[in-house]
Amino acid sequence: MTQMGFYFDQTRCTGCFTCAVACKDWHDTPAGPINWIRINTIEKGKFPNLFLSYLAIACNHCADPPCVKACPTSAITKREKDGIVIVDGEKCIGKDECGFKCLKVCPWEAPQFSIELNSKMEKCDLCLDRLEKGQQTICAEACPMYALDVGSMEQLQEKYGNIVEAEGFLNNDKIKPSIIFTPKRSI
Amino acid sequence: MKDGTAEMDENFERIINTGCCHDCGGRCVLKAHVKNGKITRIETDNEKEPQLRACSRGRAYRQRVYSEERLKYPLRRIGERGEGKFERISWEEALNHVASKILEIKEKYGNSAILFVPGGGNQGMLHGVTPVGLMLNQIGGYTRMWGIPSYEGALFASMATYGTMMTGNARDDLLNSNLIIMWGWNPANTVWDPGTSLWLAKAREKGIKIIAVDPIFTDSAAVLANDWISIRPGTDTAMLIAMAHVIITENLQDQPFIDKYTVGYDVYKEYVLGREDGQPKTPKWAEKITTVPEKTIINLARDYATNKPAALIAGWGPARTAFGEQYSRAANVLCAITGNIGINGGYASGFMRAYSSRESVGSTGKKKEGPIKQNDETSKPKKPRPQDNLVDFNAPPRKDALYKLRGGTNPANTRVHFNDYYNLILQGTKGGYPADIKMAYICGTNRLNQYGNVNKGVKALKSLEFIVTHEQFMNPTAKFADIILPANTFMERDDIAVPWLGSPYYIYLNKAIDSRFETKSDLEICRELSKKLGIKTSLLFLPEDQILRIFASPRKDIKNYNKMKKEGYYKVKVEEPFVAFKKHIEDPENNPFPTLSGKIEIYCEHIAEKNNPLIPAIPKYFSHDEHYDSPLAEKYPLQLITPHNKRRTHSSLHNIPWLEEIEPHAAWINPTDASVRNIKNGDLIDVYNDRGRIRIHAKVTERISPGVVCVYQGAWYKPNKDSVDLGGCANVLTQDSYSPGGAFPLNSSLVEVELYQKEQLEGK
Repeated sequence: MTQMGFYFDQTRCTGCFTCAVACKDWHDTPAGPINWIRINTIEKGKFPNLFLSYLAIACNHCADPPCVKACPTSAITKREKDGIVIVDGEKCIGKDECGFKCLKVCPWEAPQFSIELNSKMEKCDLCLDRLEKGQQTICAEACPMYALDVGSMEQLQEKYGNIVEAEGFLNNDKIKPSIIFTPKRSI
Repeated sequence: MKDGTAEMDENFERIINTGCCHDCGGRCVLKAHVKNGKITRIETDNEKEPQLRACSRGRAYRQRVYSEERLKYPLRRIGERGEGKFERISWEEALNHVASKILEIKEKYGNSAILFVPGGGNQGMLHGVTPVGLMLNQIGGYTRMWGIPSYEGALFASMATYGTMMTGNARDDLLNSNLIIMWGWNPANTVWDPGTSLWLAKAREKGIKIIAVDPIFTDSAAVLANDWISIRPGTDTAMLIAMAHVIITENLQDQPFIDKYTVGYDVYKEYVLGREDGQPKTPKWAEKITTVPEKTIINLARDYATNKPAALIAGWGPARTAFGEQYSRAANVLCAITGNIGINGGYASGFMRAYSSRESVGSTGKKKEGPIKQNDETSKPKKPRPQDNLVDFNAPPRKDALYKLRGGTNPANTRVHFNDYYNLILQGTKGGYPADIKMAYICGTNRLNQYGNVNKGVKALKSLEFIVTHEQFMNPTAKFADIILPANTFMERDDIAVPWLGSPYYIYLNKAIDSRFETKSDLEICRELSKKLGIKTSLLFLPEDQILRIFASPRKDIKNYNKMKKEGYYKVKVEEPFVAFKKHIEDPENNPFPTLSGKIEIYCEHIAEKNNPLIPAIPKYFSHDEHYDSPLAEKYPLQLITPHNKRRTHSSLHNIPWLEEIEPHAAWINPTDASVRNIKNGDLIDVYNDRGRIRIHAKVTERISPGVVCVYQGAWYKPNKDSVDLGGCANVLTQDSYSPGGAFPLNSSLVEVELYQKEQLEGK
């Protein structure tokens, strides 16, 4: 089985949010709490000795995704073919009825919900529609700094190594997130 | 599948190649997916490298086109100016009204009573201000103004030192540097040429040291640079001069270069060493002024002088200050005395244009080179051409203009500065201004919001007889208009655009969708208005495609216009990275600099003739009325800076939800300044001075130097009944004056900050 995943070069991310806006445009997500890809800011230090980095993070399409196990209605599945974790909106019973079971077990807050009552979970599907046409994900293709890449983990590791740590990212070996980094080192 | 059949299929999606065209340094590729006449999605350049990838602003454009806030119909004001009350009228009514007012004012007061207020909100060749200017010239002209807020100081310095704006190297040449200094320059947020940040990242990854000098720990400083030097705003000139002091006293200057290519080094040296005014400009002297430690200044000077080739990139922001032109001059001179000009990996600073796609080239496509002939006020009057503005045609050169130098956007005979236009309106000829203004024709600009001293602007705009504007949204300026003509967006028309600094490419903007509602393009508006003004023949009456081809025709580097139109961009093949002044350095006999002396002017003869101590012939550091050490600083102890942020392009795109959520609008303040004022992160605070007061959330952050407050420019002015601006518009607090060399002092304001006492104000 191929496992698709992300590469993120933290040393290059300028926090421009182009990936996030491109994602919202492509997937027609309104402004608001639903962010398939999120950009977290990490600020450290005291003037004038400062550290600033960004962490762009979507869904890590884990090798052993806890959200799949946590979902009471099997709405979340992991695709055999490419390891992409997808959610079936028809099957999802909604956040209030369910109690955010998927979100609670995800270390990186990938499951996203609108503020509407009992809204269904949605999240990054690695641009399945684009991947099936042989296109790159919209976020990776948007990044003006070429800090994002998406592909099979094998290929990514060959190109970029296999570091699974970065500022603001807490790894979880058990569930094996499909992401590797070029981390920015803190002061 | 043929087009006709395809259109019938409701799932058929066409991809229209267009581009982003607001007033940033970019111009990027956008590919609009259009289904049933509606844009559904936007992609960017995904073809051959180097790609012209759009930033978040362009990617969010769908929300701008389909915003509920779009102006849909022509509007006539029914409330007070600024109140925002309008009624819908027909185009026929609106244009008749505008035409009759223009003709009435022209008849009654003369053409100089018409003030044309243009702006860079649209950067296309065809739409925006171009057709308006042509139209107004055809009825006898208008009062125009000089000075561009973005870069006037940098432009003046570039012309004084080098005689040209073409002073930049191509971005890929950064990889040839040994050291890069980003001075007051934040390309991660203010897109210059697309790819600038990427080239800087690649340079750093190659091991090239990059240093950022800025009052803010910007995204560029944090991500692209290895080191950040924090500096007190408005004191950059002092640090640059102190660096010259280190270089001169340690004999690190490139003397052969100085001897061969420059004039005036010895005069500058006298000033730097203190022989002129008794004050040696030592790093110790500069430390007190700049807050940059002496040792840091010394090290940077040594690094810069001894790591050739080194690129000192002097951004425009520090030149947007009182005496801003001195900063740019001091930077240019530092490049010159270290011999970092005309070589790969070096950089001349100056205006920093690096390719001629933006320059108005002659019909042969070649510009004359060499030292220029003096063309002073004694030369005989010229005969006006149809495209000339008769109001100030043949007026004598304005005081302090570098009128003997060719090029630039600095019309020598235009006598009112753009940041002085409220005084022009309010005082007129009685106040010594050249005209009595009765009406304003505004296009492509949210003028009230984007220039100094908004509250004075409110008074000025209220005093006019008539205001018309082309607008897309009900922004603060539009609220003051009598007639608003709703303009379409660049997604709804064809145009061609080039980047600010002229990287070697063009963007062709293909119309993606029909104009929404009753909006029209600026060209369409001017065509119809021209007829109502009695204009019989006009370039504007030609078919749109023909006009565009005429406008593009001097650009001889567009070898295949149709290909450009089809693909949405045209990337010009260049053999090697452009390096400014390469041939001037390699073969100076045949390629003198286009200055009066034919050399790089450390001492500028043309400035010297003006005999104005506030524009010295060599760069000098000055304090001023709103500097940190001025008496006013006792009342207003904090320095306000008003840079561009990452989510707007000036005031355009302010109201786009996908962009608004990127970064909430807030005043940045250091924890030391916040705590003594009992301010916590997120509190609502008032930032104020004698010009006005804004109410805004505080972002308490270590990323800003103590003593400095940052309010990113471009947020929309929204006054309450007490004239407190709740929109957080930075220009409520800035000055409506200008520096002798034309710089806009928008980063030179003193302010105080206080926690907003809600109860107190509600009780009033």
